[in-house]
Amino acid sequence: MENFKITFLPDNKTVSVKKDTTILSAAISAGVYINSACGGDGVCGHCKVILKKGKVLSQSTGILSVQEKSQGIHLACQSAIQGDCEVEVLAASRVNFEKEDFERSGLKGQGVYSQVEEIEPFLSASSGDFKDYSLARKIYLELPKPDLEDKISDLERVYRQLKRSANIELLETPLANIRTLGELLRDSDWKITVTLAVRNNTAEIILIEPGDTSERNFGVCFDIGTTTLSGQLVDLNTKKVLGTKAAYNKQASFGSDVITRIVYARDPDGLTKLHAAVCEGMNEIIHELTAQHQVDLNEVTCVICAGNTTMIHLLLRIDPTFIRKEPYIATANFLPVSRASDAGVKINPRGLLYCMPGVASYVGADVTSGVLSSGLYKQKDLCLLIDIGTNGEIVLGSQDFMVASAASAGPAFEGSGVACGMRAARGAIEEVKISPAAKEVSYKTIANEKPRGICGSGYIDLISQMLSAGVLDKDGKIKAIDHPRIRKTDLGREFVVVFKAESQTGEDIVITETDIDNLKRAKAAIYAAASILVKHMGLEFENVKQVIIAGGFGTSIRMESAVRIGLLPDLPRERFQFVGNSSLAGASQSLLSWDALRKCDEIAKKITYFELSTEGAYMEEYMAALFFPHTDLAKFPSLRRL
Amino acid sequence: MATEVMVEKWSGEVSVVSIGATKAEGGTRSSVIKVGGQKALPYLFEEGQLPYRPVIAYEVWDISPQDWPQELISAYGAVLKDPLAWAQECVNKYKAELLCLRLQGAHPESGNKSPQQAAEFVSQLLKKVSVPLIITGCGDDAKDNAVLPACCEAAKGERILVGSAVQDNYKTLAAAALADGHNIIAESPIDINIAKQLNILISDMGLALERIVINPTIGALGYGLEYAYSIMERARLAALAGDKTVASPFICFVGQEAWRAKEAKTLAKEMPNWGPEKERGIAWEAITSSALIQAGADILVMRHPLAIEKVQKYIGQLMEG
Repeated sequence: MENFKITFLPDNKTVSVKKDTTILSAAISAGVYINSACGGDGVCGHCKVILKKGKVLSQSTGILSVQEKSQGIHLACQSAIQGDCEVEVLAASRVNFEKEDFERSGLKGQGVYSQVEEIEPFLSASSGDFKDYSLARKIYLELPKPDLEDKISDLERVYRQLKRSANIELLETPLANIRTLGELLRDSDWKITVTLAVRNNTAEIILIEPGDTSERNFGVCFDIGTTTLSGQLVDLNTKKVLGTKAAYNKQASFGSDVITRIVYARDPDGLTKLHAAVCEGMNEIIHELTAQHQVDLNEVTCVICAGNTTMIHLLLRIDPTFIRKEPYIATANFLPVSRASDAGVKINPRGLLYCMPGVASYVGADVTSGVLSSGLYKQKDLCLLIDIGTNGEIVLGSQDFMVASAASAGPAFEGSGVACGMRAARGAIEEVKISPAAKEVSYKTIANEKPRGICGSGYIDLISQMLSAGVLDKDGKIKAIDHPRIRKTDLGREFVVVFKAESQTGEDIVITETDIDNLKRAKAAIYAAASILVKHMGLEFENVKQVIIAGGFGTSIRMESAVRIGLLPDLPRERFQFVGNSSLAGASQSLLSWDALRKCDEIAKKITYFELSTEGAYMEEYMAALFFPHTDLAKFPSLRRL
Repeated sequence: MATEVMVEKWSGEVSVVSIGATKAEGGTRSSVIKVGGQKALPYLFEEGQLPYRPVIAYEVWDISPQDWPQELISAYGAVLKDPLAWAQECVNKYKAELLCLRLQGAHPESGNKSPQQAAEFVSQLLKKVSVPLIITGCGDDAKDNAVLPACCEAAKGERILVGSAVQDNYKTLAAAALADGHNIIAESPIDINIAKQLNILISDMGLALERIVINPTIGALGYGLEYAYSIMERARLAALAGDKTVASPFICFVGQEAWRAKEAKTLAKEMPNWGPEKERGIAWEAITSSALIQAGADILVMRHPLAIEKVQKYIGQLMEG
């Protein structure tokens, strides 16, 4: 098949594409962003371009005026390239990243904005026990040409071939794909690749491409956290994870917790800005992942997102106001499959966006996704899943029942709002040892790089070691010891973990009393939530046979340290298991298996939500937990001798 | 039908704190006051031993008090002008068994006495009276951190009770108490968690839990008394259930709180239908004390001799069972 060169102005980017590729599709491959609200259906009229040179074949839509046509304006999504072209993207059609690039400089100051970076996925993607049936499949078809003996329609011909070669029935095709089908089949010599996506229990032909592109089919899954966005690029054919990246959620410039963001959503343009912020972050991650692994954005055919309820609302631009108001109701917990482009997520314009189901306002899709990937829902024994994030989420249960709660812990364990915090990426300190006598510090960083900062698991270890080495009091105050690592500042004392000569940044890496206070509150909120939930069910921690710890705060966690600081209950350490970002793992599992996603629906329906904010005992328990490990030492018998 | 009395059995007990040291113990006091040791809720003698009765400490200052209401001043008369004589009068005339010296004169706004001057006063007081002593600072953290260690040293060996240590400022005082063999008052703002935390922090420094007395912070009748009552009750329940970290005796500064209430000090001519101020203030102090005794108070720091007399009588009745 012929290839043509197409150049986009004013970016002056050129890309080589196959004949009949649409201008929109070519633009995506070239990394030129063109607005496309309808995802290429030819109905929104947002993707206007001027054809300067070359030949395209345009479908008539009735959207362009005679005058526009005479100026050479075409709809990018409806114009199939027939030769080398030069195209100018109209200003109105350009996705204006500058407009969305709000307050970035301000964010930098707060340490919130940083580049997308590679993180270590803890769990590798697999569909687990579920049947392999990824959310988007590509199937190459060679159709018999019609003749007088075989006169069924083009569409039926495609269906018939799908039944014959892949045994797939129950198909739907959107009108937009049918409109161009006749031409496409004949131009491609009846050799096409169809992309099938699952939607409402039927397969939908979301994309028909000329030739065989079936080798190249990718999906992206996300965990949209209040503080951190994590994304993973998965090859849907080989089921391999190509890369995992994370970035801070840029919504943080509108408030670090969900409540302030919900309030902000009511501002004029608030919802739009919040939505743009999360989309921009996701698009950056997708861009970085695809660029690094030489994947064309057109080859990314589906996206699936897990995340807390507010984050999912904001992603889909649903007003989250009522989540905050008593009796705390989400607009929707089960969300329909939509076009990724509708939500502003840049993949193949016809690609679909799936959202994992949530349970309630404060127990969202991240929790159901975590329950799925951790397998809690099929355990015989009583399990406790503790997801350590800005919202700490707790699920208690087994195959028989599940009950969940959420507590606002703040972003400290994700490395935000603490002086030298960072996420669990290369160069993050994740293990610390302090010698009790000399107070000398040794540490280990992720990927053994020179240290850049401290991630959540590093903080857990650090505080535990500071307590054990006698540097820190149980109420979180640094002792006034005459030691070069202990310094007094205007805001209290700080402890130098790494002196600047050793650090990657050229700055001292320190932990301050304010940091310790934030971390103390975070651990208290999580411990108190778990404790109240267990009590609410008439149980004790001792009844819990397995504790699953999830969260993107590290690549591992030293259980002894987590108990030492009172984040986790004092149970035999072999009952603990760390699973990393369980929400992302559940999303990638669902990406590879429609069955897993359906299982997640079941899980969401099965989980009972227990509201902590109306539970008086929670505050009481929280206050008592604001101590290392806890005000009630009897709850930590193994630490008694300390 | 006969009523069956439910008897609760407790596993824990309140620590016994000894205040004052006799010659045999290396001090110069004529007696030792012991508080605590309860193995049951207040005055439920059927449930367990209550070995020591609550004690009342007369509040005295190192300077003549400036802001005391008229009724209090006239109760003591001219002796208030001479702090040492005032302290002696409490012991000799009113038979005080325990004194609580407040070093108000060290406060930057009330004379700003130096640590040496304060320590000198303590030395003199120890010579003039032989009862055990409680010493509290002026309330200014920085100044107290200088004054109280000096006074602790001056009273070395006398096993005084010194205070108050608070969560943000306990180390200097705890170190001084540890060095000179004294007991310490741990003050928390009507908060059982902070009370426990402070006890743990102080004991982490090496001062045994048996040398700590909790000041739970109280309010007078009408000023949060119930709140203090419930915190004390909760702490005592936890102590009896076996929580050593909160099993300390309580000290309640009733005098300063009761005499701050407008009901205690407003003159009858301003509020004719409230009755004579002479009775009102005394009643306010006595009632606040007796309520706190029922909550489990071990040491009451009081001001008016008549109020003290009433409360002593009440304690006597309670202890008869």
